[in-house]
Amino acid sequence: MHCDIGDYKGNMVISLSGDVDMHSSPALRDKLLGVIKNKPPRLIVNFRGVSYIDSSGIATFVEGLKHVKAYKGRLQFSELPQSIMDIFSFSKLDKVFEICGNLDDAVSR
Amino acid sequence: MEEKPPLNAAEEHLQSLEKKVEDLRLLMDVSSLISSTLDFNELIGLVMEKAKEVMHADACSILVYNKKTGRLEFEVALSSDESSGELLKKHVTLGLGEGIAGWVAQTLEPIVVGQAAKDDRHSNHADTMTGFTTKSMIAVPLVGRSGLIGVAEILNPIGRDTFSVYDLEIFQALCRQIAVAMENAVFHLESLEKERLKQELELAATIQRSFLPPLPVYEKGIMRVSGFTLPAKHVGGDLYDFAEPVPGKIGVLIGDISGKGVSAALFMAKVISDFRYQMHGVDDPGVVMSSLNRQMSDTPRGMFLTAMYAVADMQTGSVKVSVAGHPPFLWITATEVKVMDLEGGPPVGIMEIDYPTSQLTLAPGDRLIMVTDGVFDAKNSEGKRLGFEEIVAFAIRNRQDDRLTERIVDFVGSFTGDADRADDLTIVELRRMT
Repeated sequence: MHCDIGDYKGNMVISLSGDVDMHSSPALRDKLLGVIKNKPPRLIVNFRGVSYIDSSGIATFVEGLKHVKAYKGRLQFSELPQSIMDIFSFSKLDKVFEICGNLDDAVSR
Repeated sequence: MEEKPPLNAAEEHLQSLEKKVEDLRLLMDVSSLISSTLDFNELIGLVMEKAKEVMHADACSILVYNKKTGRLEFEVALSSDESSGELLKKHVTLGLGEGIAGWVAQTLEPIVVGQAAKDDRHSNHADTMTGFTTKSMIAVPLVGRSGLIGVAEILNPIGRDTFSVYDLEIFQALCRQIAVAMENAVFHLESLEKERLKQELELAATIQRSFLPPLPVYEKGIMRVSGFTLPAKHVGGDLYDFAEPVPGKIGVLIGDISGKGVSAALFMAKVISDFRYQMHGVDDPGVVMSSLNRQMSDTPRGMFLTAMYAVADMQTGSVKVSVAGHPPFLWITATEVKVMDLEGGPPVGIMEIDYPTSQLTLAPGDRLIMVTDGVFDAKNSEGKRLGFEEIVAFAIRNRQDDRLTERIVDFVGSFTGDADRADDLTIVELRRMT
């Protein structure tokens, strides 16, 4: 997994690629919670290039979402490849996370 | 005092040879000591006592390189004052390049220091703390297969002002053995720890299995339920349970805890006990799922449960189902395989929600096959995943097979081949017999 933290039109963006699984999710958790500590009003996670996500990866985002909701922020997902979108819709997680088309779609919401 | 007569060259040579033989004998003693024990603490004390004897020195010490902190820490410090060693172990560490030991660790070069007080590299911090005065010393890097292990020092030769080049050769020979011994002792400790963890995991797996139904098959009325689970790493996060929530009904739960290993297994134990409490006396699976969700609203580290709970009537074949983020199940009838992706909610433990209940009726011979994602997410040695559609296609091809669940397990096994299974695998079948 590769994980970059950047900015898009004044919003925090975490860009991911590779497999988000039990081996890589501890590193993702460190970065995600590190960013959330500063309470950004909107945090976008860009999934372009993510090949797989398992339940430990999803749990990391569930934990992040709970923190973000606590301060009334927003956690948005963008550019989900079809295979990742299938995992989210399979497990009805599309009802839990705010899933957007691309970064512009996310910031315009 | 009577002066000794001068030795002739032959006698001097003989004495020197005798000394070398004696040194070699002591080195061999050290070798046999090193192979006698793998207990690191016992070994290092014994070896350094011998080192002092071989080198005829006042004191000796070993500093171990801590890879996490990047500093040298005193592991052994032997001198006539026993308290000095404890002081050094507790209070003194050296960075790379700091003091003579730090210089040796940085350059990986051995060194003989004639007069420590006049050497710029010497740090008198340790001497000040212990009251010991370092005069002359040898410091040698201890290097193993994995790089720097530490630095061994021998201080103040007895009856001489300074150590010789010969002393350095002897000490280096000794240090090569010490480095090997230290590395072996660490490997041994690590393998002991691995073995201990393996046994703990095996015990945890035994305890976890005790949470599953005592028999994998449950038959009552016209219904028959069977379950099969295979954890990926001794203990896993998959679960299933059969129970009779109200008379005449059979409850069937299948679930998958996020994550794997001991944390998932502990969480699984909590889920099963919460479920058994919540399902008692309730025949609506949506109500049970919603109660379970409320009870698990504050899970640690975002952990969640995907689950499906079905309550079947033992006389009529009517089945009520509630799904929480769990993969679709298969309904196998006499003529077809239906993929049942019912309206449901997200996994349990994520958000406040009331889970809906759906209803269906099984005809005689109909089967519901429920799986966890370990079945279709199984990966082969080339990194390819099996996929849900492949499982559906396999079920269609083998829908007449009475032992379809076992066939599916074999199918996943033959796809996975030699690759390590990364996820638990669970299949539960609910069948109307007549």
